[in-house]
Amino acid sequence: MNLGRNANAILPREKGAAPLDIVIAIMAFLAALALGASLIAERTALGWRAGLSDRLTVQIVPPAQDAPGAGLDRETDAALAVLRATPGIAHAAPLSQDQTLALVQPWIGSDALVAELPLPRLIDATITPGAQVDLAALTHELKKAAPDSLVDDHARWISRLKALAEAITWSAYGILLLIAIATAATVAFATRAGLEAYHEIVALLHQMGAQSRFIARAFERHYFVSTLGASLVGAALAALFFASVGGLEFAGVEAVPFLPPLGLRLAEMPWLLLVPAVSGIIALATARISVLAALRQIY
Amino acid sequence: MVRFENVGMRYGAGPEVLRDVTFVLEAGSFTFLTGLSGAGKTTLLRLIDMMQPPSRGLVTLFSRDLSVTKRSEFPALRRRIGVVFQDFRLLPHLSAFDNVALPLRLAGRRENEYEQDVEELLSWVGLGDRMRAKPATLSGGEQQRIAIARAVVARPDLLIADEPTGNVDAEIGQRLIRLFAELNRLGTTVLIATHDRALIEGMRAREMRLVDGRLVEMRTQRP
Repeated sequence: MNLGRNANAILPREKGAAPLDIVIAIMAFLAALALGASLIAERTALGWRAGLSDRLTVQIVPPAQDAPGAGLDRETDAALAVLRATPGIAHAAPLSQDQTLALVQPWIGSDALVAELPLPRLIDATITPGAQVDLAALTHELKKAAPDSLVDDHARWISRLKALAEAITWSAYGILLLIAIATAATVAFATRAGLEAYHEIVALLHQMGAQSRFIARAFERHYFVSTLGASLVGAALAALFFASVGGLEFAGVEAVPFLPPLGLRLAEMPWLLLVPAVSGIIALATARISVLAALRQIY
Repeated sequence: MVRFENVGMRYGAGPEVLRDVTFVLEAGSFTFLTGLSGAGKTTLLRLIDMMQPPSRGLVTLFSRDLSVTKRSEFPALRRRIGVVFQDFRLLPHLSAFDNVALPLRLAGRRENEYEQDVEELLSWVGLGDRMRAKPATLSGGEQQRIAIARAVVARPDLLIADEPTGNVDAEIGQRLIRLFAELNRLGTTVLIATHDRALIEGMRAREMRLVDGRLVEMRTQRP
């Protein structure tokens, strides 16, 4: 061992450090799970919003007193003509009866009677990327041409999805904050225990004229290295978890019905490295503050 | 170099272990501090080493009144003092070389600057072949020599030693005292606490004797 090359060697490897490493690794694992969840939530919400924000759906609702058929077809054609004439609408096409039935099939089944139900006619319209469509004017024009038309720009869905994604993301940030506080408290506790364990070494260094920051640096490095190592293990385990879930989903096993895929993409994995990096910095700062506070108590 | 004026010291609410101690250690002097166990020798050394403040009285070190010196200046003052502890206080996980090199590291010197000095000093105290040994593998006498080498390696302005020859045989003891004398000749002020009369009588040095916390006698020994 050579101090010139390794100032950390002033402190020996702490006896009984393994439980601290295990606690840090578990917290890092949980933090990485929370971070991964926020990444998935954000990515999924972006996908949903991108999929819906450039689309319009026009419904031609069957009038209650009228027999469906000729009136609906006429209104559908009129609405299509309005849509195709509107600047910014790249494409508009009606959904066939089969496509409409397929949409409602998960809720009301595919019984022969369903075909008799007065289902609305649906027109799917795509907005030219970057184009601004005046929805109020379009709705007005459509009402004039097809009085039973309803325009759905999916704004309600988008805002709910946005709220859901934000709730998941902020929950994940909250969990990360709690874990960061728990990590700081754990390291502060361990540092104080370390100061007790190394009391004689600290007192000797102090007596020999070591600056407080020199002693603090030894502790900082000590806890930085052990926290970094343990949290790397925790983050690696979380990465393994996300990779396994991703692998299962790739193989066709749906993790949770109706929810987006829970696996992290390869390009998203490096974000998990933030957990050991931040844990290390928290350990470093906590150890420094704890040691300097303790040294101020010594004459 | 060191001035005590009416210094008293008590631990907590206990009795005074030092009472009205007044003396001056001139720069470049060589002094033995004697007295029976419990006379207050170690406490006096701790006050000089700034390990604790006196309960009363004035301690002046390197012309600085410690009662008004900023705490942030203490480390620099402490680095001017070499200390040999009665219980050695070596860092058990460090080699003999790294233990001796510690004061130089604390002074900010680089390894390539001090490597040769440390090796030479370890050879001088008879441990040239045990440089990489850990303290636990060394005898009490060898550990004491490392502690002494650590105290003198940075050529301190003041060297204080608490029973520095208590665990070594007479020959090594004389050799260590010669080391202290050589340091003293180079300008280091030396204060050694001991009850070894043979050690004192072989030296031309001043003697301060403590009895029950009081400094009762100061005289100069003639060899």
